[in-house]
Amino acid sequence: MKKVDRILLRFSGAIVEEPITAQVILELGIPIRIVTATVNSLGGDILIEVPAIHLKKIVKAFRDKGVIVKFPKLIEVDYDKCFDCGACYALCPVDAISFDEDHSVVFDEKTCIGSPCGLCVDACPARAIKLVEQHRNNPK
Amino acid sequence: MFHTLRTVLELTKMAISEKGNGRTIAEINQKIKTGDIQVLTAEEMKNLVESSGVEVAYKEVDVVTTGTFGAMCSSGAIINIGHSDPPIKIQRAWINDVEVSHPGAAVDLYIGATMMSETEPFEYGGGHVIEDLIAGKEVELRATSQGTDCYPRTKLDTTLTKDDLNQFYLLNFRNCYQRYVCATNSRDEIIYTYMGKLLPRFRNASYSGAGALNPLMNDPDYETIGVGTRIFLGGAQGYVIGEGTQHDPTNRFGTMMVRGDCKKMSPEFISGGAFTKYGTSLYVGIGIPIPILNEGLAKKTALRDEEIFTDIVDYGVPRRERPKLGKVNYATLKSGEVTINGRTIKVSSLSSLKKARKIAETLKSWIENGSFYLSAPAETLPTDSVCNPMKQTDEITFVNRVAHEAVICRVDEDIKAVAQRIISKSVNHVVVTDKGGEIKGMVTSWDVTRAVAEGKSKLADIITKKVFTTRPDESVEAASRKMAQHHISALPVVDRDKKVVGLITSEDISKLRGR
Repeated sequence: MKKVDRILLRFSGAIVEEPITAQVILELGIPIRIVTATVNSLGGDILIEVPAIHLKKIVKAFRDKGVIVKFPKLIEVDYDKCFDCGACYALCPVDAISFDEDHSVVFDEKTCIGSPCGLCVDACPARAIKLVEQHRNNPK
Repeated sequence: MFHTLRTVLELTKMAISEKGNGRTIAEINQKIKTGDIQVLTAEEMKNLVESSGVEVAYKEVDVVTTGTFGAMCSSGAIINIGHSDPPIKIQRAWINDVEVSHPGAAVDLYIGATMMSETEPFEYGGGHVIEDLIAGKEVELRATSQGTDCYPRTKLDTTLTKDDLNQFYLLNFRNCYQRYVCATNSRDEIIYTYMGKLLPRFRNASYSGAGALNPLMNDPDYETIGVGTRIFLGGAQGYVIGEGTQHDPTNRFGTMMVRGDCKKMSPEFISGGAFTKYGTSLYVGIGIPIPILNEGLAKKTALRDEEIFTDIVDYGVPRRERPKLGKVNYATLKSGEVTINGRTIKVSSLSSLKKARKIAETLKSWIENGSFYLSAPAETLPTDSVCNPMKQTDEITFVNRVAHEAVICRVDEDIKAVAQRIISKSVNHVVVTDKGGEIKGMVTSWDVTRAVAEGKSKLADIITKKVFTTRPDESVEAASRKMAQHHISALPVVDRDKKVVGLITSEDISKLRGR
């Protein structure tokens, strides 16, 4: 599998009506996978997956069109709290949770789709998993 | 009576083995003293037996260590907080807003693992209080009393750490189930259970237990386990104090009652747990050393995950006897995938295999470095007792007793035909099915009225497709809760294949109540 990177595109109300994602795809001729999208007339967040080798080009293209580009952290796992039971494992729809050799629970943060899902969060008896909310206009 | 006799037999057996072949616990302890002891974890023992056979394993190995780390709800801690001045005979008490019970005189309190915080229910409970105290944290105690001549005080507010407690003992009345079932959910909705979060329509499953590492599974006839067996408990040395409640050895669902000094325990092996919409619990780490007294025990401790089977159970049916959907072994469960009704789904463990291994390893190192000696039980756990269901004096009514035959129509029928049927049968609800009798929706007299008002003629346009249903063996109480929750007045009754077998209405239930 080719290496991919995830980036979060943040569209303000002023540009959200423009078909920017489509324009970038057409201009660069690079396929982009939309993982999740939350969009309305006030603006929106789109989480995309892009080929890692084209990351720089794609980020520049979006930024040139006024889109805020972020490298998002979608999930936070407190490994001090986690006692490696794996109650979360079977709930993950994208197979982002697995066990390593010594049976520790491992989260693949690059595969996790974050807040539109969150199925694992309330299944954790140790309460070790938190979604990092991708709030719009978050100054972070 | 039986296990007293058994103990005599055991002692005789031990006496015989002291003379001739076989190993005794005294011999094992002598070896621990001289550092000449051979200890393997249960996982290592299985490998040795597989490669060299039972005979060699028996000759070479003195002790096999086991381990498990899982949610054990029937757990708690007894504390004595010392007398206040003026003294109080506590009637009710709360620690960090979790009500603790007052099982004895004046200032003894029992922190039950599943008691929930009054301000943070389902998130924080007795299990967390125990963990916090073990971790050295300060907790808040508040208590009330009526006041007596000898105990005049009526209110108490103070803070405590474990150092302020006279006694702080884990006293768990049912721990360490030999094995447990694999849970899944047939319902159309997510359910939250003590077996975790179960997605709709068999989309996931969960299980608990360490399988071949489980303490009781490695000595399934309890030859070496009973009152006074020294064990690993929560990171310290503890004791088995007898059979656990609901001990069910004949079905291989044995349990134990245990005791241990919390002041010596570590939060690494004792953790509070929160199960969403179910409640709180305590994760307990337990390890039992199995002395290999005879060749039979060498063979038993070689039991593999592939040989330990358990039932796949539908937790979507909230009854004492839940439907069993098949059998699965622990090797399959640990692989993370299980097949239910021909479909492979992911299965989660609720207990930690990583910690179970760490417990078996830790216990092994304690024995090897001479800090842990084995003890012979004064009385072994019973092997023949049964766990009986509750004697109930009130009669529970189930849906099949109350439901009546459903009036049915097909999706392609004319609205007019359905309207006529509503009138001729004088009903309000018509269940829509396909040719095979499988449920496809519902139409009410109100839907038909609206169709007339809005000029709709196709039945398909007015059918409610997402219909809440009940089953013949669901309790009427559960069915009526479903109706109230979803603001509806009837539920089609369907069997396991979604075929309509009847209808239950709020009217049926009112009639039952009025009887």
